[in-house]
Amino acid sequence: MWLGLDVGGTHTDAVIVNEGGVVSSVKVATDHHNLINSIKAAFTKLLEKNNHTNIARINLSTTLSTNAIVEGKTEKVGVIVSSGPGINPAFFSCGEQYHVIDGSIDHRGKEVKTLNAEELQRAVEACQKNGVKVFAAVSKFSTRNPSHEEHISDACTGADFITMGHRLSGNLGFPRRIATSYFNSAVWRLFNSFADAVEKNLADLHVKSPVHILKADGGTLPLSEARHLPVESILSGPAASVMGISALCNISADAVALDIGGTTTDISLYADGEPLVEPHGISLGALPTLVRSLATRSIGIGGDSAIRLSDGALRVGPERIGPSMAEGGSVPTLLDALNFAGNAHHGDTVMSKIGIEKLAQEAGITPQKLTSDAIALAVKKITDAVDSLLKEINDKPVYTIHEMLEGKVITPKALYVMGGPAHAFAPLMEKAFRLPVIVPEHYLVANAIGAALARTTFDLTLLADTERQKLIVPNIGINETCDRNYALEKAKKDARSYLMSHLKKMGIAIQEHDAQIVEESSFNMVGGFYTTGKNIRVRCQVKPAVEVHLHSGGGR
Amino acid sequence: MIQAKRKMGLIFFPAFDWAISPTHPEREERLLYTQDQLLEEGIFDIAGIVEYKPDIASEEDVKRTHFCIPDVASVTTESHMISAGGAIKAARLVMDGEAERAFALVRPPGHHSMKAVHGNRGFCNINIEAVMIEYIREHYGQKRVAIVDTDCHHGDGTQDIYWHDPNTLYISIHQDGRTLYPGSGFLDELGGPNALGKTINIPLPPMTSPEGFLYALDNAVLPILDMFKPDIIVNSAGQDNHYTDPITNMNFSAQGYAILNDRLNPHIAVLEGGYSIQGALPYVNLGIVLAMAGVDYSGVVEPDFNEGAIRQEKSVGQYIEKICSQAVENYRTYAKKPSKNKSSGERGVRQKNIYYDTDGIREKQMESVMVCNDCAGVLYIETVSSINPLSVGIEIPLGACNRCRDEGLRMLKDARQSGKFAHIKLINRRDREYLDY
Repeated sequence: MWLGLDVGGTHTDAVIVNEGGVVSSVKVATDHHNLINSIKAAFTKLLEKNNHTNIARINLSTTLSTNAIVEGKTEKVGVIVSSGPGINPAFFSCGEQYHVIDGSIDHRGKEVKTLNAEELQRAVEACQKNGVKVFAAVSKFSTRNPSHEEHISDACTGADFITMGHRLSGNLGFPRRIATSYFNSAVWRLFNSFADAVEKNLADLHVKSPVHILKADGGTLPLSEARHLPVESILSGPAASVMGISALCNISADAVALDIGGTTTDISLYADGEPLVEPHGISLGALPTLVRSLATRSIGIGGDSAIRLSDGALRVGPERIGPSMAEGGSVPTLLDALNFAGNAHHGDTVMSKIGIEKLAQEAGITPQKLTSDAIALAVKKITDAVDSLLKEINDKPVYTIHEMLEGKVITPKALYVMGGPAHAFAPLMEKAFRLPVIVPEHYLVANAIGAALARTTFDLTLLADTERQKLIVPNIGINETCDRNYALEKAKKDARSYLMSHLKKMGIAIQEHDAQIVEESSFNMVGGFYTTGKNIRVRCQVKPAVEVHLHSGGGR
Repeated sequence: MIQAKRKMGLIFFPAFDWAISPTHPEREERLLYTQDQLLEEGIFDIAGIVEYKPDIASEEDVKRTHFCIPDVASVTTESHMISAGGAIKAARLVMDGEAERAFALVRPPGHHSMKAVHGNRGFCNINIEAVMIEYIREHYGQKRVAIVDTDCHHGDGTQDIYWHDPNTLYISIHQDGRTLYPGSGFLDELGGPNALGKTINIPLPPMTSPEGFLYALDNAVLPILDMFKPDIIVNSAGQDNHYTDPITNMNFSAQGYAILNDRLNPHIAVLEGGYSIQGALPYVNLGIVLAMAGVDYSGVVEPDFNEGAIRQEKSVGQYIEKICSQAVENYRTYAKKPSKNKSSGERGVRQKNIYYDTDGIREKQMESVMVCNDCAGVLYIETVSSINPLSVGIEIPLGACNRCRDEGLRMLKDARQSGKFAHIKLINRRDREYLDY
């Protein structure tokens, strides 16, 4: 059995799932000011009903870190960077204490200029004077040579926690590395006290199952690991629903999934049945990060999207002013329009009718026209967003002639719809997309199911430079020498075994075929007219997947 | 997040699976470190800079520009069609208003490819800028285009293609042909009888430093552009003037390239040569991208940059001043009025011996153009090479007058009747006909 808990905007859902399907599910209101209380309540309710001795794993999808960052309720961080030549690093300033230290490392990982020890000392002192307790150490090309970050880290004496950029991801992207390291340190204390509370709560309930957190890429990370990588817990909500659909539906072709909620609709894509991963990392607000995620988009259309007239034009969303009038709100919403049009029969449909008719009168049109226009507008916003995400993914640049000529194009064959108004939207979507629409069973708790069944994911990049005889796997701290004959085949084997042994250390056993090589290249490096070595790059991952598929059958 | 002042499209296509040969400078690894630098700098996260996939050029796109002997497929590979397609994509972005500026960071290059093509010379098979420019003219009208070629090697291919076109200004700044491949590009190469002064060469002496390049830009290139008044400026952005380039002898810098692009402000830049793949390209490309997008590039400096070590001698500066004033004078003298040596209806004839260094092909050409007051003049090229028997190409130019069109069709008929040509190629831009016999 697996337990999944998803902290949503209004509700916190928790489920226990086994191979046969959903064993038990509970729903409690989310208390934004005290998430741990909501989680506690959900656990208690769920576990008092069930024997929990054979729960294999508990997965939490929580908005804790995301909310703290968005609301600015984070700890102050000393961000110390070394940049070297390139774009002015002042552009990437973040945190209360941001210091740029002279020193540089080039694209091959060669130290071009040593760190300026005096500047570093002054920066650390300035941070300490300002009461900074957590730091972020980031250098350009630290994924090729982490020595400057290590040097900065060593200088931050007395710190409670230091994030070194190269431990977050093997990807390139100095500005992303700065932002991600900053966020990681900024939520570190908050996340750790949350983790303490979760562990205490489970201990009180005599639950001994391992606890994982859900990540934005639809995979999980042991809570003990997340304690030093708390940034990995951001924006996991959409991933929970994507994994939920994977678990509930037997997707084998290209597909689109829509999770239509109160305020937003989350769009995700599947290629040959597998959820699509965003290659560079997710953006939090306007800031791109190195946190791996699924390719999802969120648009401001949902059941509670307000319908309003603005300068004579009809508008649907993106604002949510309150619940629909059918649920006691004061402004008619998309759900009220669906009620009026007969697509839905939710709550107090009489109130929906009153609201729609009043607005239609103000607009000087019939209520029938008002609702059909509003619904058409909402449908168009969704179809436009799906089209633009598809275009973006299909137009994604490629770098080899082979990929250019053989490039895969995603052509959806089915549309999966979930969320509160799923059934009301299904026939509309079927018409708009001209695709078969499936509303999975248990679609109301699909998020929690997705969280429950998500498996651990991981990815690493191995780089070997046989001319410099260096081998590095930055995010797991491997920095070794390799010999001049080191070659791609060996690198692939090593990448797999590094990944497997790292997961083993975290208590996770995987099969060798789960460690998948997703990118591999070996370039001859030439000096003059002679080959001087090889530049080898291998990326290995455990892709997002669910423990079991529960497709006893999709709804409609 | 950084905001670009100008919306910019970047077509990055490193062709990681294509090389001329394993240790050739034009090989898989060439843009690897540039990719690393651009990714690490976060270029693709700058608001206003968008990365696009290249188009794939069609056979017609090539046939519109070149006489490929024996045919397009024999002298190109997919890589060339994608590289040219990358340039076309850049042009479409700008012409359609999707971007204000575009940079095709693609390989393989193209500026040594001439009108008639038998194979690869100077690492180039087809001229990707020319294919792009003729694509623009085919789809967006007959624009006045200025090509500023900042590759260290004289762009003899581009010069050859536009030798007779009065609507295309070709300016090349390069290392003096007496000291570097391909050995051409002297002050007195000024264009054919219908386009005199529309080819301008600025051969700089070896060891020219940023000071010298920027002097040539400010005192020759920009004033000539002001007089020509182009609709579109294209930079053939070769990067082998860099002080670390292994196959040239110049002393230009990444900062210098960025300043040059800032002042030149081209609509479209297309990567050409540049073979210092670790020491120069990552920084030069970064500088060009930032300058074109209007983002502060002042921090773009090579790790080993030493201003003192690359400073040019005083005599070099004085020589450059002389060259530049002569180049401007040449444009003033010749570009304004048609040739006085010949009158309309006469033929301007050139004999050419062309060597394809990469493929080891020798070609002999007889080229003649109709001197014409009304259009670029019908063009006739007889060509024979060590791999292809005698062949002929006839071009009726874009906007051809009736006389030149009729003459072109008559020449085609004669060529077909004569029976002496293995391959006969017609480019009829007026009627959009590209025929092979």
